This record gives sequence, structure tokens and C-alpha cells, in this order.
Amino acid sequence: MCPPEHFTVLYEINPWMHREVAVDPDRARLQWEGLVALLRDAGAEIDLVDPHAEWPDMVFTANAGIVNGRQFVPSHFRNPERQGETPIFAAWFDEREYQIDRLPDHLDHEGAGEALPFGDVLVSAYRFRTDAASHAELSRLTGAPVRSIELVDERYYHLDITFCPLDDRRALVVPEAWDDYGRRVMAELVPEPLALEPDEAAVFSANSVVIGRNIVMPSCSPRVGRQLEAWGFEVAVADVGEFLKAGGGVRCLTLALDVVLRRGGQGPPAPT
Amino acid sequence: MATETIEVEGHIIDSLILAKILDTILAAGADYQILDVSIGRTNADASRAVLQVDALDDDALAALIEELQVHGANRVGDRDAVLEPCDQDGVLPAGFYSTTNLPTEVRVEGRWLPVVNPEMDCGLVVTGDVVRTVPMHRVTRGDQVVVGGEGVRVQAPSKSRAAGSFEFMASEVSSEKPKALLVAQVADRLRACRARGGRILAVCGPAVIHTGAAPDIARLVRDGWIDVLFAGNGFATHDIESNVLGTSLGVSVDAGLPVEHGHSNHLRVINEVRRWGSIEAAVNGGYITGGVMYECVRKPVPFVLGGSIRDDGPLPDVEFDVVAAADAMREHIAGVEVALMLASTLHGIATGNILPAGVETFCVDINHAVLTKLADRGSHQALGIVTDVGLFMRDLSNALE
Repeated sequence: MCPPEHFTVLYEINPWMHREVAVDPDRARLQWEGLVALLRDAGAEIDLVDPHAEWPDMVFTANAGIVNGRQFVPSHFRNPERQGETPIFAAWFDEREYQIDRLPDHLDHEGAGEALPFGDVLVSAYRFRTDAASHAELSRLTGAPVRSIELVDERYYHLDITFCPLDDRRALVVPEAWDDYGRRVMAELVPEPLALEPDEAAVFSANSVVIGRNIVMPSCSPRVGRQLEAWGFEVAVADVGEFLKAGGGVRCLTLALDVVLRRGGQGPPAPT
Repeated sequence: MATETIEVEGHIIDSLILAKILDTILAAGADYQILDVSIGRTNADASRAVLQVDALDDDALAALIEELQVHGANRVGDRDAVLEPCDQDGVLPAGFYSTTNLPTEVRVEGRWLPVVNPEMDCGLVVTGDVVRTVPMHRVTRGDQVVVGGEGVRVQAPSKSRAAGSFEFMASEVSSEKPKALLVAQVADRLRACRARGGRILAVCGPAVIHTGAAPDIARLVRDGWIDVLFAGNGFATHDIESNVLGTSLGVSVDAGLPVEHGHSNHLRVINEVRRWGSIEAAVNGGYITGGVMYECVRKPVPFVLGGSIRDDGPLPDVEFDVVAAADAMREHIAGVEVALMLASTLHGIATGNILPAGVETFCVDINHAVLTKLADRGSHQALGIVTDVGLFMRDLSNALE
């Protein structure tokens, strides 16, 4: 995670961001510390990356890249407003002796915010921030089979606000954010989806962190809470309202380091 | 109808990406053929498909391809060229892309950039968004050079380059064609080149002087039909010899008979021009009073005289460093659209090596081997006219009057 020292809304690169809606830095700091405490309670260990004044969105570490065991694939951000984050995150992983594997320069991919493992595959979205063609490269680099999902609603510009894997069978899903093909692929993939209502999706309920049977959510409707509890999850809600002003919730504020992608079959056949 | 080949790879079957792409093509009113598809053996394996997309017209195709690119489809070959820096002056990186003389484009950061100066047998150096051919000896350490063939596309030569007019391009060497017709057509090409502001290059061998064509070429230079001249020591020497002493290699150009002590005439002429210091000085001093070199100096038309190992003298203007001579020729070929190669093997082939394929090249020689040599070395644009250069130039100069 990255402390929110420099977090603010300086620019508008998604429909949630409005420069006239000021971030309260003290509240942001308190909310972020509250989230850290809840995550620790849920069983997480937290490592920190130093914030940089130039890059206010660094607080959303989910977009740093893809972690796969000791391998790190840095993101290639679409917006220049975030491109400066890449070398900082890459250096952090490099210092910790991760193997750094890079995507080709011409392909955008916004990291774990756009790619979540589920079952045997890595689900990755594309259109607003990520190029579909990056998925084959990502698969080549990590060995993981990818399921590509097209996003269709600009409010849900990253996969991790439309999809939250809970365990091997279950996930929170926002099918309205995906195109028809994506919905069919996800219906095939997820045996027990819990589809969020539009108002649940709009408060970033899918942008949650799951640690074992604990789930830390930015908000949780009673309906969703009941279902999660019925499935044996313990729900904690973290108020991250200041960060929602920038279009990010709980999941966006974290990057899971304990991810090991399952190696699938073979990469794409070599060009002939 | 417009056609493009695209490819898409990844887990395109289970992600329904291939299905979406095919549906998108049909929904746009276009059509596809699956040229190649390799499907992974398990649902974890990646797959690849190559499709030919046919749309109604270029605009519809471009819009459709743009839409398909969102889903990860790319035009085949749509990868940036791989660049490697030279680590030594005058040495290209191993695996450098070796050029043709055809129009070529290089993909740099997603954009196709045209090669500014197509030339065969060179490397491609990328500087910012400019791509140039650079011969091996002129690259410098740090130059970014294209390696491998990825991100390079070459336009195939098209047979009918100028709308309809140039029918005799159909046969490569025309020894059995009515020469008057060929002359008229070459004259037309020269006029057309003039009219559109193109430059005309003449490459001359010594036989041009021996066969008595010097006055005709001199007239073409005087009348502004030639913009730049490439030749060697022999051509310039015999041109001056024929003007000063009336012989070409000791043979009277009027009578066609050897003159007494004529074998040394060309050496005496070279010696005197060396005394003047340059052809230009010899012209201005009144030693040379006519001929091709004289007209070149007076016009002025730039010329490059490239030396060779068996040259006598040589004349002071001859560049004897052959690499420097070829570089000097390169300086002068920008804007050249028609090249006349007149009874010249050595300089004709050297010129063919540096000309882009788009330059209309007429190779007039009594010996068709010259044209074969040119074609074998990649100058496929050359049209050979097998005939006596003296007669041909007389007719051409008359046709252009």
C-alpha cells in the first residue's frame, strides 16, 4: 500500500473524478489508516511503498502491475497522468529481487486492477485502460491462461470494480459492465456469482479485498452482506469515501503480493 | 473491394474474442476468410487466427480494422521495427536489415514512416521520425539501425508505373524493336519528367565519344535536358581529346581513322588539363572550347567523375577514392526521375546501385550483357535498348529539338 500523503484529485481521467470536489487530506489519511487496521485485523501483513508528490494516484497500488510469485510485470498506463508511477513501482520490486518482466511499450495494461485470478485462469479486462492485445503478452510472460473481458461502461473502467473473486467458486460480479461475450465467458467461468445491483455496483462494492474468509469492502448492502455471511464470509466495511472521489475503493488501494498464478498450457503458437 | 489481413492471438476461443471479431466483421457488412487458425490443445493453451477481411471500400475497411483492434486484432506485420545501436563507426549491427531499392516503410512507435532515400544494400537508420538508408561505411557509433525484418514493409514494384503510357516496359530488353519508336518514347518520358520538375541524370561511358555521340549529348546539356552527369576518367578524357585534338583514343572522330602518334593524344590532353588544375579552369582558360564537359562547366551542370584502377592520368577532377565517389554521386541523385545510362558498364551499375527503384532508367548499349548485369544486381526498373549509342543519341537529340 502507499500512504496518501500526496493523494488529491488534480486531473480527471475517469467519470468519478471532479477537480472541483476537493479531497480532505486529513480525512483521507484517517480513512486509509482505518483501512490498514481492518486489513491487519483480517490477517494481512502490509508493506509500504513511499509516496511521490508528483504522482497522487500512486495510492492506488492495485494498478502498479501484476504480481506472480517472485515475478512482477509492471503496468503500462494509458494516461500520462499515471505513467510516472511505473518506474517507481518497478524499482520497489527490483529492490526486493523480484524478476521484472515488461510488456511491450506499445501495449497498455493497468496491472492487478485489470487482472484478477479466478480458478485456473487470469481474468483480464480491456477497452478503457488496457489493450486487448496485451493479454496474449501477459499470458506469454506469466504462463497463465487469460480470459479477456470487454468493459462497456466508462464508470467501471477497471475490472476490479466489476469483479471480486471470493473463492474457487464464488465471486461478486457486475455483468452490466461487460459486453455480451464477456457476460457469457464469466457465466461459464464462475459457478456461483453474486450479481450486484446497479446501486451496489456504483458504491464500489466489488472493489473489495478478500483475505481467506474475511472480506473488507468499501460498502455492503444488507442483501449482499446476508449472502456473504451465508457463504461463511466475515464482512468488514472500510469508509474510503475520500478515495471514491478519485474512482478508487478498497481493492484499488491495495496490491496483493501473495498471488501465484496457475501456469496453464502453452503460450500462443509462434508466428509463422 | 478493400482487403486486409489481420491476426489475433491469445485465449481467443474461450474468451469468445474470435467469435466477437467474426461477428463484428459480419455486422459491419464485411466478409472474412480464415486463412490460418491454430487452436490450443487445451483450454489453457493460447490460440492464433489469421483472417483476411474484405470490406466494400478503403474507408469501411479502415473503420472496421480500427474497431477490431480494440479487441486485440492487428494487421499482420504490425509490429514496430527492432532497432539496435551501432557500436562502432562504419559497422552495422549484426542482423541489420539489408535494403532494396524499392519504396520502403518502417514502423516506429506504431507509425509507418517512409524511407526518405531508398537505396539497395544499405542499412536503415532511424533518427526521431526520419528513416534513411545509410551505406555501411557511413554509419556512426550510436546510430539506431533496423535489425531483422519485423516492422519493415516494401512496396512491390508495379509493372505499369505511369498511367498507361509506357508500353514497351513490357519487355525488359528490346533489341528487336523499331528504334525510331523507342527513341520517340524515351523523348516523351524526358519531356514528361521535365514538365513535372523532375531531374534527368546521364551516365556516360567512353564509347559515347568513340561512336561520335558527344556533340548530341553536348547539345542536350546545352538545351537543359541533362541535370547531372556521372562518368569516369575515360569519358571525360576522350570528350576533351576529341574537342582539342579531334580524336578519341587516337582515332579521328571525323574520318574514323587512326592518326599518327594518336595513341598518346589522350595522355597529352590529360597532362594539359592537369596543368590547368581542373576541367573548369581549362574551359575558362580557353583550352577546352566545346564538348560535353565544356557544356557542363558552362551551364553549369554538376558532374561526378569516378575513378578506376586502370585509368590514365587521371584528370584532376576524377575522384579516386571510389567510396567517396559513390558518396558524391549520392549527393546528386535527389529528385532524379529519369536516368540515361549510355554505353557505360562500370558507372552504369554503380549508379544503378544507388538509385531508388522508382527512377525510370534507360540503358542504351550495344551489348545486352550490361542490362543483364544491372537486373541481376537489383535494378529491375532498367529498360535495356540494345543499339549503337551514337545513332541512338543522334535520333534522341533530334527528337528533343
